[in-house]
Amino acid sequence: MPRKKSDIIVKMEDVGMEVDGSVTSDSEENAGRKSRRNPKPKSSPAAGRNNQTAASRTRRKAGEEEEEEEEEAPRKAKVSKRKAAKQHDSDEESEEDRRSRAENRNAASKRQKEEKNKKDKENVNGRAEESGKENGKKSKRRTKDGSSSSEESDAESVSEEEMARLKEEVEEKKKLISTLRNKPWRMRRRLQCLKDAQQFVEKFEGALGKGKGRKLYAFKVMITKKWIKFNRDFENFKTACIPWERKIKEVESHFGSSVASYFLFLRWMYGMNLVLFGFVFGLIVIPEVLMGLPYGSIPRKTVPRGEQAKAMDFSVLFEFGGYCKYSFLFYGYYNNQRTIGPLQFRLPLSYLLVGVGSFGYSLMVVIRTMAKNSNEGGDGAEEGEFTFAWKMFTSWDYLIGNSETADNKFASITTSFKESIVDEQENQKDENVHLRRFLRVLANFLILCSLGGSGYLIYYVVKRSQTFANMEEEELTWFEKNEVEFVMSLLGLVCPPLFETIAELEEYHPRIALKWQLGRIFALFLGNLYTFLFALFDEVNAKLEREKDIKNATIWAMKEHYSNFSEFNISLDATMPPTLDPADVLRGPCWETAVGIEFVKLTVSDIQVTYLMILLGDFLRALTVRFLNYCWCWDLEAGFPSYAEFDISGNVLGLIFNQGMIWMGAFYAPGLVGLNVLRLLTSMYFQCWAVMSCNVPHERVFKASKSNNFYMGLLLLILFLSLLPVVYTIMTLPPSFDCGPFSGKQKMYDVITETIEKDLPAFLATLFTYAANPGLIIPAVLLMVLAIYYLNSVSKAYQRANAELRKKMQMQRDEEKNRRNNKDSTNQVMKDLEDLMPKKSPLSTSGKDAEVRSEPDKSAKVSQKPGSVATGRGVNLQKDVSLATANPRVAVSCPRGPGPLPGSTPLQASPARRGRGRVHAPRR
Amino acid sequence: MGSRASTLLREEEIEEIKKETGFSHSQITRLYSRFTSLDKGENGTLSREDFQRIPELAINPLGDRIINAFFPEGEDQVNFRGFMRTLAHFRPIEDNEKNKDPSGTEPLNSRNNKLLFAFRLYDLDRDDKISRDELLQVLRMMVGVNISDEQLGSIADRTIQEADQNGDNSISFSEFIKVLEKVDVEQKMSIRFLH
Repeated sequence: MPRKKSDIIVKMEDVGMEVDGSVTSDSEENAGRKSRRNPKPKSSPAAGRNNQTAASRTRRKAGEEEEEEEEEAPRKAKVSKRKAAKQHDSDEESEEDRRSRAENRNAASKRQKEEKNKKDKENVNGRAEESGKENGKKSKRRTKDGSSSSEESDAESVSEEEMARLKEEVEEKKKLISTLRNKPWRMRRRLQCLKDAQQFVEKFEGALGKGKGRKLYAFKVMITKKWIKFNRDFENFKTACIPWERKIKEVESHFGSSVASYFLFLRWMYGMNLVLFGFVFGLIVIPEVLMGLPYGSIPRKTVPRGEQAKAMDFSVLFEFGGYCKYSFLFYGYYNNQRTIGPLQFRLPLSYLLVGVGSFGYSLMVVIRTMAKNSNEGGDGAEEGEFTFAWKMFTSWDYLIGNSETADNKFASITTSFKESIVDEQENQKDENVHLRRFLRVLANFLILCSLGGSGYLIYYVVKRSQTFANMEEEELTWFEKNEVEFVMSLLGLVCPPLFETIAELEEYHPRIALKWQLGRIFALFLGNLYTFLFALFDEVNAKLEREKDIKNATIWAMKEHYSNFSEFNISLDATMPPTLDPADVLRGPCWETAVGIEFVKLTVSDIQVTYLMILLGDFLRALTVRFLNYCWCWDLEAGFPSYAEFDISGNVLGLIFNQGMIWMGAFYAPGLVGLNVLRLLTSMYFQCWAVMSCNVPHERVFKASKSNNFYMGLLLLILFLSLLPVVYTIMTLPPSFDCGPFSGKQKMYDVITETIEKDLPAFLATLFTYAANPGLIIPAVLLMVLAIYYLNSVSKAYQRANAELRKKMQMQRDEEKNRRNNKDSTNQVMKDLEDLMPKKSPLSTSGKDAEVRSEPDKSAKVSQKPGSVATGRGVNLQKDVSLATANPRVAVSCPRGPGPLPGSTPLQASPARRGRGRVHAPRR
Repeated sequence: MGSRASTLLREEEIEEIKKETGFSHSQITRLYSRFTSLDKGENGTLSREDFQRIPELAINPLGDRIINAFFPEGEDQVNFRGFMRTLAHFRPIEDNEKNKDPSGTEPLNSRNNKLLFAFRLYDLDRDDKISRDELLQVLRMMVGVNISDEQLGSIADRTIQEADQNGDNSISFSEFIKVLEKVDVEQKMSIRFLH
């Protein structure tokens, strides 16, 4: 008995209940069961309920088939006789049940049945014992574990019903195998059947095998279950690992996918910058810091004597002068030693390769992402079919149990509906084509004018500034000094809203309008970039001039030093002159560092402006609107200032131009990439917070295009634009003579030729010289152009084929629909004719009428319910009831007719459909 | 609680439920203990209020419709059998169940029955058609007051226009099936009950 008792404990644990309930022995159990069957009054409430339910059960039971009753009787007898454990009982009985069912179905010969029954009985007995043993073992193991984890439930599930069912199936299959020969089937089917059955038996026989096989099977099942569970957990983990997924989803649910697309873009950008950061820091900065010469050892790594007093001042550091300027953040700090450290790390080579490689990597990533996006955007064909129906029936997530999540889901469903409405409106818009075209041309003309005007203004101002630059500093006023910056920021402030106003004329879909807006502001900002680069190149050229002088001067100074030294120390036989302190060495302007500083400054000021704009423009505005609203003459929230909308185009362009700055500046200021990573990281959190707390959704929430390839296209353009100046400087300008990893060389790329000559075997060097031959390069370029042409034409052909197929599918669908409708309508005509016959019609209509009358009450009753839920969802009860009564069936008698509501003009059904609706409306 | 569940539930009843719903023995006892813990009135049946205490249902815009699905027509109490019968719709379809029993009655968790369950959620007046007004009511539950009536009307119209095939301005069950043809209902309308 002890073993059986423990069995019961095990069962209780498995079900996840406390064991403090009394563990009854079998006889008691039976007695209890009997007592339950014939209701007896008891004192405890639980028992009372028990009796009630039992009574109801018996009542129900009476109505059931006799077959079961018959089956029950022998089983009970068996139970009392054998005193088997409850579980065995259930197992066995279920098996018997199933077997009898299966037998009925199969309708096998009688003799076979008898035989099988015998066999079954033996089998069952044997197995019951065995499973008892098994369970005993298991229970021991489990009591050791002492917890009701999923593992146990896994193991348990193996041993219980599944076992019984599997056993039965395996038996069936075995029988099938043995009798297959006699089946009047075709050979092929027989073979197929045999193969299936054998496979099945092989797979599951382990479950029935004695001892080891069974354990192995249980183990296998457990492992598969574990594996599935692990996979599921891993998937969850992977989703949890996607950074900011929750934040972005939250923004998306409230502001729509268009705003979310900005944050997705930001996240993508962060990922790319992180890789760039890894390259730059791993291959340039860290090797130099760890293995290069320390600070103060050579002139380029030392603050000059004259600047040392102020080198730690905040104002100097903030302008990236002083210690910042002579740190690893900038180009000038790096030494031109060919190899550094014990690893013989070729830093100059690595510097050049990383500089070029980061461009290569960025190009690759951008283009790959674009290609992937366009693939994804391609198969949106089937989406148009049931957009609204799917949104309607499948949008709610039934597992949501958290009220905050539910709020988000509500918001997201609402926004997605709104997005679809906007899309639909755009599709259904019927318009005056000529007027629209004229307006669009006019708008484009106006914008071109303003772009041209601002371009000329920039050109004019830059020209003026060049003349100012030649004049004396004192003669200039403050305005004249900062004229360029002033005009630029003024343009940046005025033009985007102006463009937006003009774009109102065009009445594009907001998604397309956003693209136009982006493109126009992009063109405007290009002017910005152009002036900046223009100024920079002027500066670089001036520096190069000065450098020549200084170079000569330093050479002269060195000579002086040496000659002085030899003059005064003739008597001493020291061969080495005393070294000059590195801080005192005369040095060149190092134009690369200057350029780097410019870019870093620009980035920093950009960050400042962006964050300040968010704080002032969004946060402060939201605060004033929110709190001044209590004591103001008009409604601030709904009226003039209101809350700010999230400026998608401005933010996206800001991000893109910022990235352009990073690409251009990273070569001259390796630290810039780190700065940018920090910026993107903070701006993710900051902007998410700002958008959720101070912005309101757009008036027309629109769905972002699935692929944000437009952003990517702009990014690619900027990448090319920033690639050009950097490559130009690398290829043409001579590096500074006394700073940076390329000092002392004629051109920066000399590092590569040097490496090829010194480090690679000679034949490779000759190979490179051949490869660099224009005779080889020109054909290669030609070949590439040809390949591009070919691939382009192929892809166009595919596109055409795709469009064709899509059209065909659509046509087929329409045809099918039409056919069905036509059939119905012809039927309907027939039915109408039938209705005209005097026989049936009065009866059926009266029946329908009764139904109609009863319906409004019912639906009204149903609609009472939503009000009673305490969700606070603002469901208008009155409206619901009124809507419910406005059932189309009732509406037949009303003059309004069953068509769509009069207010819903944009989405009305086609006239033909409505016409049909009217035809059979009176029938009802 | 748990121990009571096992003693309260008779073997025969478990067998019947097992046969009817396809749940395993341990699942039934486990669900019974859940049933009793939901049963705050302690009278062996669940009322609507009992269901509304489940947060997932209280929040769900269609929660009332789901709760309604548990109750047979005209009653406002449901016993364990009825409870299990409704839950059986959400039992996952197992691999060996797919090809088994082609001639017998369809199990409660077949794709069709799952879809029918979903269909009934929208079919408020049980006339086997989802009319425009029923859609409007459901929409109102789902989006609240955030969208104007006019727009809601046009959404409902569009939904019907998309799904309607015979032009009667309502969605019948067969049309409903057609709409959700590509949705993986077997997977989505399944709950992984613990074994």
